[in-house]
Amino acid sequence: MSVVGAPYLLLCTGASLMRMVAAYVVSVATALVVGTAMARSRLVERVLLPVLDILQSIPILGFFPAALALFVRALPPGVGAEAAAVFLIFTSQVWNLIFGVYASVKSLEKQLFDMAKVYRLGRAATFFYVCAPASRNSLIANTLISWAGGWFFLTSSEIIALGSAEYRLTGIGTFIMEAFERGDALSFYAGVATLLAVILATYVLFLNPAGEEVLERKLLSVRATYAALYGFISAAWSVLANALVSVERRLRLPLLAAKLAALAATALLAFAMLREVPRAQAFDASGLLPLLVEVAEQLPVSVARVALIVALSSAISLAAAYASYARAGAAALVALAGEALASIPAVIWWPLLSSVALGSPFGPHVVAAIVMLQGALWYLYFNLLVYGLASLRRELDEMANVYGIRGWWYLRAVFAPSLLPSLAAGALSAWGGAWNATIAAEYATFGDRVIDLGGVGALMAKKAAAGDAAGVAVTALLLSLVIVAVNKTLWRKIFQFVESRYGGGE
Amino acid sequence: MLSLVEVTKSFRQGGRELPVLNGITLDVGEEFVAILGPSGCGKTTLLRIIAGLEKPDSGKVVFYGGEAKVGFIFQFPTLLPWLTVLDNVALPLRANGMSWGEAREKARKYLSLVGLQAFEDFYPKELSGGMKQRVNIARALAVEPTVLLMDEPFSYLDPLTAESLRSEILDLWTLGVTTVRAMIMVTHSVDEAILMADRLVILTPRPARIVGVVEVNIPRPRDRRSPEFQKLEDRVYELISA
Repeated sequence: MSVVGAPYLLLCTGASLMRMVAAYVVSVATALVVGTAMARSRLVERVLLPVLDILQSIPILGFFPAALALFVRALPPGVGAEAAAVFLIFTSQVWNLIFGVYASVKSLEKQLFDMAKVYRLGRAATFFYVCAPASRNSLIANTLISWAGGWFFLTSSEIIALGSAEYRLTGIGTFIMEAFERGDALSFYAGVATLLAVILATYVLFLNPAGEEVLERKLLSVRATYAALYGFISAAWSVLANALVSVERRLRLPLLAAKLAALAATALLAFAMLREVPRAQAFDASGLLPLLVEVAEQLPVSVARVALIVALSSAISLAAAYASYARAGAAALVALAGEALASIPAVIWWPLLSSVALGSPFGPHVVAAIVMLQGALWYLYFNLLVYGLASLRRELDEMANVYGIRGWWYLRAVFAPSLLPSLAAGALSAWGGAWNATIAAEYATFGDRVIDLGGVGALMAKKAAAGDAAGVAVTALLLSLVIVAVNKTLWRKIFQFVESRYGGGE
Repeated sequence: MLSLVEVTKSFRQGGRELPVLNGITLDVGEEFVAILGPSGCGKTTLLRIIAGLEKPDSGKVVFYGGEAKVGFIFQFPTLLPWLTVLDNVALPLRANGMSWGEAREKARKYLSLVGLQAFEDFYPKELSGGMKQRVNIARALAVEPTVLLMDEPFSYLDPLTAESLRSEILDLWTLGVTTVRAMIMVTHSVDEAILMADRLVILTPRPARIVGVVEVNIPRPRDRRSPEFQKLEDRVYELISA
């Protein structure tokens, strides 16, 4: 790496970090508004709950080329690619945040809303002083997961190829990939190291201290930086709250007018998007049948891979949860290791492990498994570590202690069953995550060498490489239908069983 | 102060219509009214209708003398756990147009009225049940209401705390240090109703009608063991079991 390289690396890192922060701020704002609306309005809940349920479990990456095409066409090229990148990161962060806010507001005592109504707290006041603070803890807990999810997709969002057109944004992901492409090992490793350092720093300096407070468990953290950030955020937040509550008080905006305005804005947006669609590449309907056959052929390969990954993730997460339960000292380290590994961008695994991938016939499969594991494992891992361990009941622990139930029997009769509800919840998310990762896992190129492991993910990746955005979207849509069908049948059964047998109290 | 005119209300439960209030007509002047009835008879629903939390199916609630300002003492403290005691009391004022400075100033005044001036920076979880209920009362008084509604305000407290809060409310009422000119309290305790109120309105089991109105003409402070108290108590029990 040349001397000019170091400042450039810093610039790239800064740009990526800004992108992450922008996407995260948009995610939190969206989660607060949408989650609150869902919890407070029957109608919004009925419409959005199933929609979000589907959105969070389908391979978002598959729709990305189409979304990109839309953004790039609708906005000036530079802004469009940047907006598309932020949008992709946003889609990897926002779902669990929304569900967190929704659950928090939904579980508030009804009386608090009576109170708000009796004392004529307007919508803004109710939002800022009742709903938003109630969501704080779940936002923080979910941020630990979402932040890692964002980094994971960062590189996929910085280099976007749409057929012959390729958009490269200044950023650490692009820096690493370019270094790899020109065979500059020093820059490559410097980039990876910087990326890891930044990821760890954001956790240790800001997120872990917040998590520590909320989850009441030890995480590796620095308090002073967090205190400064917290001070800044709460000051900004109260300025915003004050301003909006005052505005609302002055205007006393009639409810109907507000609803009409929201409706008009949505209609305008939908119209603007529809206007762009015909200009985007049209999908040839006659190609649907062959595509259907192709997807059906490739589906079993991917299903087998995904199922294996979910099973593997469950086993690893349970082991990690037990290790962190059995040794309090290990807990903080286990969590930090998880945070760092979870954040490594998907695309970087291939160059990072290129010697493994190209070294033996099994190599590509191993690396593919690692990439998918990385897209899936952390949902389970964090679910068990954050929610699972918290649901372990002290009385059961004491009972086991009194009757001398230890080791394997403790694991089998007390530990694992107590964690099953969070295991099931995590496994569902992991299953969605694994599907999403197939696109990055089943297909990769090294210069002129192509690794194609088959499967629906490879199919989508190939179509994306060929610039067939509509084909990718339709494939993703077909795959989404399959995933949603499985969610509504198999997963639903599993949840009902786990909830009735292992959920709640006695 | 206000009138209820032929108020009816029913809820839908499991596809069936469940009548709760069956034509309630009542005038409330500058007085302390206790609404008394068996549990689940709809007295809380009646209070919620007066507060505007529910709409009656038919009939209406009329407030006289301009805009009604209503304070509501909830059965449970209903405090926001993330706000201090002071801000819990100040929030309704802030949300209705005061600056935080003015709102807190006024909140302090009413907190000292219920004896909590030293606890303004505490969070609800750091207070005892009785203290939390005092914050609930201070919040209701701080909006400077003309009508104060109370939904079984002592039922969740232990007997000793409940008794001292009863006399505090009575003191505030009789001394006239607040803006409250009418109080309506829902309770299922005959004893509590006679001890505190000027007039008892007795409801039947669901769907509730008014079965009788009893004036309490015993001078305060009232002695539960006095003969007139006991006589009144017997009369009320007769009405309830009729």
